[in-house]
Amino acid sequence: MKPYLTKGIKEIIDQFPEVEKILNEYDIGCGPCNVGLCQLKDIVEIHRLPVDQEQELMARITKAIDPEAEVKIPEAKEAPPPEPKAFNYSPPMRKLVDEHVLIKRWIALIPEVVKDLEVESQAGRQLVLDGVDMIRSYADKFHHAKEEDILFKYFDENSDILKVMHEDHKQARGHVQAILEALEIKDKNAIAEHLMAYAGLLTEHIRKEDEILYPWMDSSLSTRQVGELFSKFNEADLQMGFSPKKYEAFIDSLEKKLNA
Amino acid sequence: MQIQGCPGSRMMSFENKDAKDSGRVVGKIQSQLKQWPIQMHLISPTAPYYQNADVLLTADCVAYALGDFHRDYLKDKSIAIACPKLDQGQEMYLEKIKAWIDDAMINTLTILIMQVPCCMGLLNLAQQAAQTAERKIPLKFVVVGVQGDILQEEWV
Ligand SMILES: [Fe+2]
Ligand SMILES: [Fe+2]
Repeated sequence: MKPYLTKGIKEIIDQFPEVEKILNEYDIGCGPCNVGLCQLKDIVEIHRLPVDQEQELMARITKAIDPEAEVKIPEAKEAPPPEPKAFNYSPPMRKLVDEHVLIKRWIALIPEVVKDLEVESQAGRQLVLDGVDMIRSYADKFHHAKEEDILFKYFDENSDILKVMHEDHKQARGHVQAILEALEIKDKNAIAEHLMAYAGLLTEHIRKEDEILYPWMDSSLSTRQVGELFSKFNEADLQMGFSPKKYEAFIDSLEKKLNA
Repeated sequence: MQIQGCPGSRMMSFENKDAKDSGRVVGKIQSQLKQWPIQMHLISPTAPYYQNADVLLTADCVAYALGDFHRDYLKDKSIAIACPKLDQGQEMYLEKIKAWIDDAMINTLTILIMQVPCCMGLLNLAQQAAQTAERKIPLKFVVVGVQGDILQEEWV
């Protein structure tokens, strides 16, 4: 079992698909992650399961990897009813979680935008450009920049989990670039494909941050660091040179238009 | 037996804690206090040790109840103490908390109170001051049980 503790989870799941099912039962959804280079031991640690559940999980994974292994799987206890997850985020983390809300509202509109996609008229092309501006300015410049330039600097940037986060941001930028190139040649299918891929990527990325990464970061930040992050985030917003209100207005009006 | 009267001043006695004291520290415990004065009426909110500091606003009783107060909470922080139940002239406190935030530019404010209901007044006071201040800072509160246990520790 030991060598598997330091293996990337994707590699383990590819070899032993059962492991994905087991992780799912403990609310550890590594399956859809498109990077999957987090090590098994880190994944177990970062989810901070109660001790008995962690032991049970590890025993079951060991069994799935090596059916011959001698492991005692603790008696399955009656599963407690799942509690709704409510995190007491520190104020700077709460700010990032709140920013995700507008990005999620945009993601929710993408399937509708794709359905009515139209590149022959100026208005149709403008909608794509506005969507790209929303992603580039709000999601990337306003939001991801606070993560990459400030928050992540407080942690080991070579850790697997942060490499995954950086990689997600990079892939999102790749989709935006592809959307613009496709718009140039009026390739509707490619625009639709990359918009949908962006939506899928960011949905999963935001879930990872809200439910796993931020609570874990909060648990290891000192009070001093929380205060510093809070003022650095505010400072960064002031330096940004545009108001996020513009993008709230864009989403408001697009929601009205598409839900009308 | 029905208990009557104010829970803030109800009499209680606790079991001998010796048996529980497993993590005994050997030698003298170092004080983490790095300033004087500390009483809210006596402090100047813009004193050098409040500038950009992580500040504790602590109800008077907390440091007596909390066994590891110096090591776990006071270390690296600046402090002021007050009693929201008995102190006179608390409008002054409101102004001083605002001055911490706006003039001394403190980094964070942590309010430590006892579990008794009258202690909530200190948290309310701090929240009120924070709302009227121009700068925004992270605010945390910690509720301490009368036997020194941490009952709640949350960002506001
Ligand atoms: Fe991110
Ligand atoms: Fe994010």
